[in-house]
Amino acid sequence: MKKIFLIGCILMIVILAACEPLQTPTEVISDATAGPIYVPATDLPAEVHIDYAQNFTLEYQDGYKILTVTQPWPGATQSYTYFLVPEGVQPPANPGSAQVISTPIDSIVTMSTTYFTFLEDIGQLDTIKAVDDATYVYNETIRSWADSGQIKVVGGGSSGNEVDLEALLELQPDLIMTSASGIADMDVHPRLLEAGLPVVINADYLETTPLGRAEWGKFIAAFYNEEARASQIFDEMAARYQALKTLTEGVQPKVTAFVNSDYQGTWYMPGKESYPAILLQDAGADYLWQDLEGSSALPLSTEVVFERARNADFWLNVGFATDLASLQAMDERYADFKAFQNGQVYNFNARASENGGLDYYESGVARPDVVLADLIEIFYPELQPDHALYYYQQLR
Amino acid sequence: MDDSTPLPARKTWPALLGLAGLLVLVFCASLLLGSARIPVVQILRILTGQPAANQNWTYIILNFRLVRSLTALLAGAALAWAGLQMQTLFRNPLADPFILGINSGASFGVALVVLGSGLAGASFLAGLGVLGDLSLAVAASLGAALALGIIMLVGRRVRSNTTLLILGLMFGYATSALVSLLIYFSAPERIQAYTLWSYGSFSGVTWSQMRVMLPVILLGLLVLLALPNVLNVLLLGEDYAKTMGLNANRARVFILLSASLLAGTVTAFCGPIGFLGVAVPHLARNLLHTADHKVLIPAVGLMGAIAAVLADIFAQLPGAQFVLPINVVTSLFGAPFVLWIILRQRKGGTTFSV
Repeated sequence: MKKIFLIGCILMIVILAACEPLQTPTEVISDATAGPIYVPATDLPAEVHIDYAQNFTLEYQDGYKILTVTQPWPGATQSYTYFLVPEGVQPPANPGSAQVISTPIDSIVTMSTTYFTFLEDIGQLDTIKAVDDATYVYNETIRSWADSGQIKVVGGGSSGNEVDLEALLELQPDLIMTSASGIADMDVHPRLLEAGLPVVINADYLETTPLGRAEWGKFIAAFYNEEARASQIFDEMAARYQALKTLTEGVQPKVTAFVNSDYQGTWYMPGKESYPAILLQDAGADYLWQDLEGSSALPLSTEVVFERARNADFWLNVGFATDLASLQAMDERYADFKAFQNGQVYNFNARASENGGLDYYESGVARPDVVLADLIEIFYPELQPDHALYYYQQLR
Repeated sequence: MDDSTPLPARKTWPALLGLAGLLVLVFCASLLLGSARIPVVQILRILTGQPAANQNWTYIILNFRLVRSLTALLAGAALAWAGLQMQTLFRNPLADPFILGINSGASFGVALVVLGSGLAGASFLAGLGVLGDLSLAVAASLGAALALGIIMLVGRRVRSNTTLLILGLMFGYATSALVSLLIYFSAPERIQAYTLWSYGSFSGVTWSQMRVMLPVILLGLLVLLALPNVLNVLLLGEDYAKTMGLNANRARVFILLSASLLAGTVTAFCGPIGFLGVAVPHLARNLLHTADHKVLIPAVGLMGAIAAVLADIFAQLPGAQFVLPINVVTSLFGAPFVLWIILRQRKGGTTFSV
């Protein structure tokens, strides 16, 4: 397949080179002092910066875009590079191991629910032709399209189901976007690439900061040449996030909070650099496991959690529970937390689909400002007079 | 060493007393050692009913460590007893307490609750949505009881133990296929919850669950205590048992009842705990040089309890905040130990078939 791909690339270069005299508007104007190089004839957007995301870079060069995913999966030793070549722009002469994708794309297959809101934001939700699984999707549009057969369900990606290669080959999407685990037998992208399908790895979940994760909207938008629009939406959202964060600065006394729940004596507690821990800190709470290094959750002994958190003010993200009674039914000892007795237990399942798909995992990724506003409303309701909880609900 | 001859009674009692003493020691150690750092003096104050310096410590000792240690003790003994009965019934040293599908039944119950509740819309599970409200222990108990019912029903009708064994294996395959099907259609977070259950743990049991677990295990033990002679005869083979006037079918039903109650209860409350049920009977036979169930029943119970409590101490990684899954500790550290014991003591001779 690689050979065919290479031959294709060389052919394209030859053809484009032959056509060059006719296509003066696409001629590249380089200006060494200005740094990046633009192609004025195409309607390429202005250069977009990546400010928070650590795991991908976006560069502009000779009229095309270079997207690099630094760490495609946890512990990956090599990065993945994609050349995004707008229509009418000369593709890079030597892409090496990088994939070349012509933009804008018209059709996409998504293998994670986190992409929906980003696509909706730039008005491209209807370019989705297939999803990995629709059972746990919250987005109503996607669900109705899946029900009516307008979009196909093809497995793979985060669904963990067998990928329907034949359906994808028939569909011939411009792009398949998926996450990867790095375990060759579990990942779909090697098989899709082998079948000649264009696959891009999106590693948004490895981003530990809420703003960093939300910035992956620009990554997705770049394939539609809409990153300027995505950037504007992101910047406004980030500004709201920062304003909310400032709101809680210097708040005294700080409330104490902890997250998750026990499982048979093991309590997975996220480290201080993890997504939930950063949100708690930005909301002005004193996260009780500030001494836990790293961004992953560690299996703590439940007795240690009780020792430290028994008198904590707030308990959040308690798993599947929707009311206090069902929480207590899981383990009667839960009722001895002060937060439980005071009714200060909150869960992010206020917006759930019939099958239990949570909007927090979908639009919450693109709207960390709303998540933060929820948390501040929980911890310090006096700071935001007119915010009503959106993703979170109080367990009663 | 004079292999194969039962220990004279005067040597058996000191051995059993020694094991009992060791169990007391290990049990105390498990109360003292844990993830939370609580001074020994404070623990002694708490256990003797005096107020401790920190209210949380009292809570942790009484509601976490005490109930966890007791769970480990009971579970270890119960699994070892169930394993002993299965090994004798099938005259197979590889038989474990779950060979007839008790585990698969419990797993299926848990899988239905953990994985099935997200599938309320799926047609083949419609109506099972109510199960989603059950606690895991109740679900596992129902699953184990279902398996127990099938075993008892079949056990009364089938004449040969081999047929029973094959039926048990088939039941296991069928239920694990159903579990796989549920996993295949479930959300990742729910799959994780199920996986964590399958790791096994003594820490999930609360005092109100203990009120169910303890009586059922005692009931299983009570049945077992009526069986040592029957088990001794069975060890010589079913044909021999018949010539001895033993009603093999009735004996089998009682053995199945006792073993299923013991193993089913443990799986219901602690998850599938492997290794102990297979290994402890071997250890007991090798250390005591006997196949007499009058000696083996108390010895296996004590050793099972000691092994489980010890494993739990290791799993809690005293001093560290973290915990390990119990199955990791029992199998990873237990397997080489048992191998060493058996290779060291067994020089060609076997105490299994008397």
